[in-house]
Amino acid sequence: MYLFEYQAKELMRQAGISVLPGAVATTESRAVAAAGELGAGPWAVKAQVLAGGRAQGFFNNDRHLPGVVFAETSLEVGSVAQSMLGSVLITPQTTSEGEMVNAVYIEPAIAVPQEVFLAMLVDGDSGQIVCLLSKKGGQHVEQAVGVDPDSLIRCNLGFGEMLTTEASLEIARELELSPSASEGLSVVLKKLHRLFIEKDLSLIEINPLGIRQNDALIALDARITADDNALFRQSKMAALGSRSASSSAEQIALREGFNYVSLDGNVGIFSSGAGLAMATVDAVANCGARPANFLDVPPVLEVSRVKQAFLLLFSIQKINCLIVNVFGAGIMRCDTIADGLLLAHLEAPVGIPIVMRLAGTNSELAISRLEKSGLPIQFVENLEAGARKIVSIKEQDGSTLTHSSWAKKAWLRIRNLI
Amino acid sequence: MAILVNASTRIICQGITGRQGSFHCERAIASGTNIVGGVRKGKGGSRHLGVPVFDSVDEAVEVTQANASVIFVPPANAADAIIEAVDAGLDLVVCVTERIPVLDMVRVRHRLNTGSTLLVGPNSPGLAVPGVSTLGIMPQGIFLPGRIGIVSRASTLTYEAVDQTTRNGLGQSTCVGVGADPVVGASVVQCLAQFMRDEQTEGIILIGEVGGTSEERAAEYLSSLTDRKPVVAYIAGQTVPEGRRMGHAGTIIHYGTGTAESKIGALQAAGVTVVSSPIDIGRTMADQLSS
Repeated sequence: MYLFEYQAKELMRQAGISVLPGAVATTESRAVAAAGELGAGPWAVKAQVLAGGRAQGFFNNDRHLPGVVFAETSLEVGSVAQSMLGSVLITPQTTSEGEMVNAVYIEPAIAVPQEVFLAMLVDGDSGQIVCLLSKKGGQHVEQAVGVDPDSLIRCNLGFGEMLTTEASLEIARELELSPSASEGLSVVLKKLHRLFIEKDLSLIEINPLGIRQNDALIALDARITADDNALFRQSKMAALGSRSASSSAEQIALREGFNYVSLDGNVGIFSSGAGLAMATVDAVANCGARPANFLDVPPVLEVSRVKQAFLLLFSIQKINCLIVNVFGAGIMRCDTIADGLLLAHLEAPVGIPIVMRLAGTNSELAISRLEKSGLPIQFVENLEAGARKIVSIKEQDGSTLTHSSWAKKAWLRIRNLI
Repeated sequence: MAILVNASTRIICQGITGRQGSFHCERAIASGTNIVGGVRKGKGGSRHLGVPVFDSVDEAVEVTQANASVIFVPPANAADAIIEAVDAGLDLVVCVTERIPVLDMVRVRHRLNTGSTLLVGPNSPGLAVPGVSTLGIMPQGIFLPGRIGIVSRASTLTYEAVDQTTRNGLGQSTCVGVGADPVVGASVVQCLAQFMRDEQTEGIILIGEVGGTSEERAAEYLSSLTDRKPVVAYIAGQTVPEGRRMGHAGTIIHYGTGTAESKIGALQAAGVTVVSSPIDIGRTMADQLSS
């Protein structure tokens, strides 16, 4: 679960990490007032989106406005906030659809003599928490580290045991800062490491971590990702997330534990198993169509959860056809998929064409049930045939059924089946 | 022979009385898997699916001489279940559980480093030796005892490879799902090495996916071998566009690896045949073996 910058900074402030005073604003007038409360300016106005790369980003309705803007007057703070709020920000780290800005964060603008990069995350290879540090902090850190890999320092922080003062000081010294900045960095590392473990995080990134004239350290930007799988024991973190879930599709996915990613196209994808779901996205894209999403529904026994997965897809307006690719195995049976689709259709009738590839457990039963339903489904033998079918459906544009004409007739037939 | 398990492996199931545990163990027992007991705290002394249930892994091992376990325990308690099995000295533990907190798995890895247990998973469909043993959730009815070793990071995509090698008559020696979580036990490389040594295995199918470094590590390992069995690979996620990212650390940590291009390039350089569509996996393996 991603956190907004202002949420991440609040957690860091509570953990004893130095951050600038700041205020969240969701209206122009609140932005102007907040600027006044924060002092005499200048200020930084920062769009709050769940992605990085904001300074290199642009807005859909103003391609010259980045996601972080420095303002000299409080009136300017207001007008920048006005332009950002309700607009969509596209950055190198968002999809091409961008992210809606519903809040801005206002901070005093400060200049620091040095900026470093600091991150903590879990390394799958070694199974440890690792820390990444680089003197090349700032928005171009990826390129800088690509050009000069030696500028990245990587340290293992162990398997969750607390970091000793000696160990954190040793790590901090690798960055070769002044002695007092090194000491400050070691304290920051210890506090962040504790925060990482206490809150079940999967990523902390401070880029840049500013080093001020007096060697004091300050987190100028902050990224925190919480481990979704640990939210059951992190109720405070989970509460932060419910405020930041954006689309209804994402809300359903979060609630039901589906792996869902929004993509740029309009072919809806339903699959079970992340690998098979990815292979389905691959096949559709390789045929020249554009997937609207990645959806991996974990194997479930309950028809109600399969229904939720279809409702998730039906809630996405841009989807104009759907491919379902399921290999029924273990507890995931094809007839569960069929019944879930039929139930979802009762709640939110859909007229979009559906291409289904059902194989494995109970596939024949599922297909016969669906064939009787009258839903606009075409069945295919394998994934490639399915992808080609989707493309041919999309080529004959206009043949798409609208639900109003046939939904009522289908309703009765379906109700008799389940 | 197969890898990791054989007919004399004595298997217990942790979480045998739960819905998932019951469902899959019942099918495994019916197909001849040597499940000798189950563990469920508070239900020790009872019987379930015709085998004795114990309060702890230690007790189960003492009575049944089990040396392997398959775990169907909910995510909040799964890491403790794995550690209990490691502490009891089991040789092999297969964990099916999905959605275990990653820091719990960090703790598990720490414990594994100082023990002798091999963990498969978590978030794994398990492992299957056709005609002998099924530990996990792999479906019955699609396997055929045979010549191909399958190692996979994906779950359902694994069954596609099994299905195809059954249909074209090659069959499988062993099929292992190493698990799709960021931190897992047995690595792809460890499984490849076992297959290279296994006499029954004549060819190996590797199912990978974007993210992590398993496939790059596999390529390094395969490059180091002078004489090896043919390997066919498929990497899922070749066209999945990069989703929303949070910051730079995920990109920087393994610079230049993790993408489909990186994995395919590394495997091809190591002499692996990488197919671009999953429907070609079985056919390509057959071609490799006949040439």
